[in-house]
Amino acid sequence: MGSGKHPLILDLKGNSLDDGPGIRTVVFVKGCPLSCTWCHNPESKRTGPQLAFAAKDCIGCGLCADACPERALDLMSSERVDRDLCKLCFDCVNLCPTGALSRMGVSMDLDKIVETVLEDKVFYSTSGGGLTLSGGEVTLFPKFAGEILQKVKAQGIHTLIETCGYFVWEPFEKHMLPYIDTIYYDLKIFDSDLHKLHCGADNKLILQNFERLHALATKMGFELLARTPLIPGITDTPENLEQIAGFLQGLGVKCAQLLPYNPTWLEKSRGLGLVPDDYFLDEQKWQSPEKIKDCENIFKNFGIEPL
Amino acid sequence: MNEKEKKFYVQPVARVGIRTALAGMAFAFNRFERFRKYLRNADGWNNFSVGIKTQDGSVAATIEFKDGKATTRAGAENVTSQMILQDESVMMALVSLPPNELNNLLLKNKLLIKGNYSYISYFNFLMSVLLKNKQVKDLKAQREKMKLPTLDSEGKGQIKNRQMTFVKADSRDPGVKHLEDQNLSAYGGLVDFPRLKRFVDIHHRQKPAVCIERPKLMTRWYRENGFENDKQGKPWVAELRQAEAFKYLMENRKPIIRKDDLIAGTSGSKEISVLLYPDGAGTILWGELFIMQDRPLNPYDIDPDDAWALNNEIFPYYFKRNFREWIRDVYDEPLYQEVDERFALFFLWKNVALSHTILDYPKLLRLGADGIIEEIKAELDKTSEQNFEKRNTLKAMILTYEGIVAYALNLSKQALLDMEAESDPKRKEELKKLADICARVPKEPCQSLDDAVNAVWIHWVAVHMESTNAGFSLGRMDQWLQPYFESDIEKLKTKEEKEEYIRHAIELVGCFYMRCTDHLPTIPDIGNYLFGGSSSDQAITLGGVTPEGEDGVNDMTYIFLKATEILSIRDPNVNARYSEKNTEAYLKRLCEVNINTAGTPSIHNDEAVMQSLERFNYPPEHLRDWAATGCVEPTISGKHMGHTNCMMFNMVAALEMALFNGYHPLMRWHLGPETGQAESFENFEQFFDAFSVQIKFMADLACDYNNKLGEAHSVLRPTPMMSALMYDCIKKGKDATKGGALYNTSGIAAIGLADITDSLLIIKQFVYEENLYTLREICEAIKSDYKGHDLMRARMMKSVKLFGSNDHQALEMANKVATLIHQTFSLKENFRGGPYTVGFWSMSNHVAFGTLTGALPSGRLAGKPFTPGLTPQAHASHNLLDNIKDVSGLDVKNIDNNIAFNVKVVPSSKDRHEDVIKNLYAYSKAYCDLGGMQMQFNVLSSKTMRTAMENPDDYRDLLVRISGYNAYFVTLNRDMQMELIERAEYGL
Repeated sequence: MGSGKHPLILDLKGNSLDDGPGIRTVVFVKGCPLSCTWCHNPESKRTGPQLAFAAKDCIGCGLCADACPERALDLMSSERVDRDLCKLCFDCVNLCPTGALSRMGVSMDLDKIVETVLEDKVFYSTSGGGLTLSGGEVTLFPKFAGEILQKVKAQGIHTLIETCGYFVWEPFEKHMLPYIDTIYYDLKIFDSDLHKLHCGADNKLILQNFERLHALATKMGFELLARTPLIPGITDTPENLEQIAGFLQGLGVKCAQLLPYNPTWLEKSRGLGLVPDDYFLDEQKWQSPEKIKDCENIFKNFGIEPL
Repeated sequence: MNEKEKKFYVQPVARVGIRTALAGMAFAFNRFERFRKYLRNADGWNNFSVGIKTQDGSVAATIEFKDGKATTRAGAENVTSQMILQDESVMMALVSLPPNELNNLLLKNKLLIKGNYSYISYFNFLMSVLLKNKQVKDLKAQREKMKLPTLDSEGKGQIKNRQMTFVKADSRDPGVKHLEDQNLSAYGGLVDFPRLKRFVDIHHRQKPAVCIERPKLMTRWYRENGFENDKQGKPWVAELRQAEAFKYLMENRKPIIRKDDLIAGTSGSKEISVLLYPDGAGTILWGELFIMQDRPLNPYDIDPDDAWALNNEIFPYYFKRNFREWIRDVYDEPLYQEVDERFALFFLWKNVALSHTILDYPKLLRLGADGIIEEIKAELDKTSEQNFEKRNTLKAMILTYEGIVAYALNLSKQALLDMEAESDPKRKEELKKLADICARVPKEPCQSLDDAVNAVWIHWVAVHMESTNAGFSLGRMDQWLQPYFESDIEKLKTKEEKEEYIRHAIELVGCFYMRCTDHLPTIPDIGNYLFGGSSSDQAITLGGVTPEGEDGVNDMTYIFLKATEILSIRDPNVNARYSEKNTEAYLKRLCEVNINTAGTPSIHNDEAVMQSLERFNYPPEHLRDWAATGCVEPTISGKHMGHTNCMMFNMVAALEMALFNGYHPLMRWHLGPETGQAESFENFEQFFDAFSVQIKFMADLACDYNNKLGEAHSVLRPTPMMSALMYDCIKKGKDATKGGALYNTSGIAAIGLADITDSLLIIKQFVYEENLYTLREICEAIKSDYKGHDLMRARMMKSVKLFGSNDHQALEMANKVATLIHQTFSLKENFRGGPYTVGFWSMSNHVAFGTLTGALPSGRLAGKPFTPGLTPQAHASHNLLDNIKDVSGLDVKNIDNNIAFNVKVVPSSKDRHEDVIKNLYAYSKAYCDLGGMQMQFNVLSSKTMRTAMENPDDYRDLLVRISGYNAYFVTLNRDMQMELIERAEYGL
């Protein structure tokens, strides 16, 4: 992990309507300093490449098992891949006719990324969309990210990053901040101990960075939006939401976003051979509209308009 | 049934059975007068014979009807018509299956017909005379199973309408002069227009009924005055004969003003009339006279007396007097006709109609019938006495306009009678106004919007009395009605008066739309599987630029859009032109109407369409007056006989024949030229050449037939009335069917572009680049419908960049195919002396042709639908932008008959209406900016469609875009429903 290194790219997703205003291209990078137990993009946590298996796409042709030098693939097993044996050579991925086996994380030339992003310029201009850098955590790679942002912004295209806020300030400020139009900033858990418990690190840096950004936003002309994912029993508790709302109120923030729980990540996790905490096995449902409304009301009570 | 059962059961039973069955039939007709009476027509006995045999001749028998007596004999030769069955199991099916499943045998080429088709229809009718009870029972049982909406003969009850949200426009277009909010959001929804709401309820609940008024009156006139020869035995001038018969029809048809309507006149005598054209292809309904009420899909009511009249007086007159049989007789059942009648290669609409054009309505409104007649008389005065042809043509034109005026005056009288019988003072006032209007127009020039709308409607009725209701289109109604709107509203002073008038204008246009739903084309049950759910596709075109090239969007554009929105009906088929001269607010409004209606209007990129027509060198002011015809096809309004849907051309059949050395698998016919065995091609180009040869072979046949049909129309049914309202026919003194119009083209719909492109890409990569498979291996896999070839099929679906995946090579291949088709057809000349044009849209024939096509190298399985129009396959990309980029990257020069690009989008329930509009706008605008030509939306989810399949009664107004036209989802056959559900779906 280092500021000069290129990340692996998980996906270059065009036509996204969910990651900022308008039609956007989202660059998902691999690697994250946090390890939230509910991570919705589990394939993006590790920096290295991973092998994923989607059972529903498999036709059982067996080409993969025959080709595997480590004998790590078993057609009879529902997980298919023995992760202890797999050396990640990805020979199987190249042979798989349906894409049931796939490689998560490829290295891509920076100019190629920029070029792909620019291909959809006409759609950004008709929709008010642009580029979103997401992850993983893109601030792990400030030089790389900064260069993309700079090149894209130079074309008059709107730029946005999604961040967990856990980053070293100086390289971020130097390489990335000047080229960002909007920051979606996660405030997940306010209590430092709980944050450490569920996300693997304490949140001091996160809160500190948020305050600094908030102080700079107007002057530098970028938009800062706090977002809280609603994870049942973890982040959606009244205490946590009240604390976050209070923090925002203290800074004079007027609006923030609440992101309802999306249980589909469980499936993705399993495909990567990751085992979710038992806790989540009971949380496979979408949140009720009533529950979401309750959460929103907490924010409203603090004068924060939920978006 | 297995081979053993076939051998021991079917063969003997069939061999003995068919003779016995025919003998039984003969006995019944000979013995019982209640059956025998159906053998008679008004002039005598129907004498004919039908031979039935298996393809290998293992079974053959004939039944002959002569002078009221039926006999049977062995052998099936020397007969009027012949039914040829694939094998003996089909023979069994013939007597045991319900009639609509028999159609399926016909469609699938298990049953072939040779010789006169009308007699086969009649023979089917005679079978149903005997088997009526069983057939009806079978059909009812099918209907029970199929989950279809209930209809009733009275059209009672209400339907629940779609929820709509309306937003105000944030700006006003330069051409909008009198609407404060051009979106007309304050005028509300359908419930705020109770008159229209009633009409819409009837529209969705009323069972259509066959109307025999036109054929009855026309046939009466022909019987009296002769068809080939007049009373004196002299050959008729076809134009004069048609004009006289038309005039007689118009003078004598019943003038009807629908209860509460603001527009006088109807297309038929029923609430919703199925119009019959036995002079076209109407006898095709003969076999269903007793059972059409009970067929599962789109059943029709029919009055028993009318059924009797059709069998006795009307249909027998047209055994040979229709386009198809004229060619069979004159050209001795040529190969191209035989091919057409087997459905798999092409389907020629000219068998049914020479329509799909747009008349010069502004001229009618400006001059009135009087003015038109004056112009014709002036031309007549200038014409030499010796120029019989021109003089007769002009005389015929005059007669037709006299007929129209007579009908209008009858309507005026009827309005007065209705007024006297009316008790409601408000309605009395409306009827008085209608009496006044019809007394003046379309005879005289129009003075108000009410005048103009009524005049267009009366003329519209006349169009459908002269010629078959298939794709005649209305053109640029917003442009043409705007002057009348302006002159009306400028007379008003207060804001309230103006608002009241605008409400009236919306209602009036709404009434006009609902008038257009008062008739349906004759769809025999087989048509429910070929082009299901289609009405007559009366296209209206809005927006775009004026003939001078300025922003043409005006007040009436938005009034039409409002009516389109609140009614959400399938026909008129609304097409919107969007030019770079038009505003953002206008395109956003088009998107909003699509969101509110789920699927209309379709959006055309004005500049791209006009660019595609460059090679014709139309003067700019003519070109800018283009309008969509039928589905999407461009016609130069009022000057152009473009028969833009003369045929549906299945390009995929050429691919199949190229793969199998000229052999067509479904037809089991070595039809095409021998272009080489699969292993004989050394490289991809050689294979592509073979494909080209097959395409050219098919195009030759199809154009030959189309041109002969063009001739048949000019002989059997020239259209003097239409000609008088089409620029240059008067001056040339030549009927439009003979090339009288200023511009003459024939437009084809080439079907299967995405399926062909993908198949070729896969062959190129797997066979000639990677050497992964031989072409022979692919052919074997196709023959087995990929059974045991899962791996190959999986690779085909995944490892090749397909059309719609934003891949340079894929786009190049699509352009290569499009260029081939376009070059092939653009070299051909039609009967009227004009060129052919090529479009890539499919109505619903991507489903029908799909069922007639085996598995493809694209991985598509046998019998599955092709993609609609030129829409990429769902698995080409998950990204809609990739689709948009490839489709807009097609070279418009190959597409002079437009395209249908379907996009299914699904707003999530939590999205704000404004955001959904914004997103749809962004896609449409970007598509146009990239040079895309046409785009049509389905704004609904597969989930909704599945729910509708289960609860058809609750979803009878669920509007869907098929490929160029709109239909109600619940009225479609199951294959089409599934095709819609399986289309790629994109969030909004």
